[in-house]
Amino acid sequence: MIKDGDFVAIFNSIHRVMEAERLLKDKQLKILLIPAPRALAADCGLAIRYAEDVRGEVEEALAAAGLLPRELYRKNGDSFVKIGEDE
Amino acid sequence: MNKLDVRGMACPLPVVQVKRALESAQGELHVLLDDGAPRENVKRFAQGRGYQVHEEQLEDGFAFTITGPGATAAREATPAPAVAAGPTVMLIGSDRMGDGPEELGRLLMKNFIMTLLDMSELPDRIFFVNTGVLLAAEGSEVVETLNELGNRGVEVLSCGICLDFFKKKETLAAGGVTNMFTIAETMLAARSVVRL
Repeated sequence: MIKDGDFVAIFNSIHRVMEAERLLKDKQLKILLIPAPRALAADCGLAIRYAEDVRGEVEEALAAAGLLPRELYRKNGDSFVKIGEDE
Repeated sequence: MNKLDVRGMACPLPVVQVKRALESAQGELHVLLDDGAPRENVKRFAQGRGYQVHEEQLEDGFAFTITGPGATAAREATPAPAVAAGPTVMLIGSDRMGDGPEELGRLLMKNFIMTLLDMSELPDRIFFVNTGVLLAAEGSEVVETLNELGNRGVEVLSCGICLDFFKKKETLAAGGVTNMFTIAETMLAARSVVRL
């Protein structure tokens, strides 16, 4: 479900993640609401997955709407690298 | 000797056929299958269930010899558990989970189906009826997940009447079509039915 190199955005509430999903889908961006991977703590248990090719548009749209995720990770092999710490 | 030829079959049929054969087979099972997804999925499925897979490359595909010391020997060595035989069936009668706001219900159902991929024990069959069939049709966000469940040996089946009602028969994107006879028969013979 999450391929190597994919991004996983974690939000801190169900309302924010649902709002983010609605916003990104309205913009026809290829994202998917997924159960948050067990390795990543998420208050609402959900996350938004997207690939590198739409990263710029996704994060720009989220920032403009004041909906930036609490944490962002990138799948790297079997683990997740937190963006902002190691990138 | 049990033999099975699943060459030319589209996924997830090879896994489903092998699963059925393993459930009824005694001793070794010999399977002829295509390279690529069928080979990988059948191998992963069989090994995941404790079977050993010996593979041999042929001119037109692969030949697997599947032996089950893990499953067969374990069954023989320990007394049979006191549970009825039969499949575990999941009946999904809606594209929403629970009562409440539509949007939340749809999100929960989607989340539930995706979460099944993390489970070690999966149902043998999932039946979709009523608006549940929309989850298996084109445009559903869980099509990829349902196909992966199929690759892991879960039979994903949608009610034909329901697909017809919603005009989705031509756009079914995961699993196969079934009828009420099969649904009723399977549920009555099931070890357990999980109804959503």
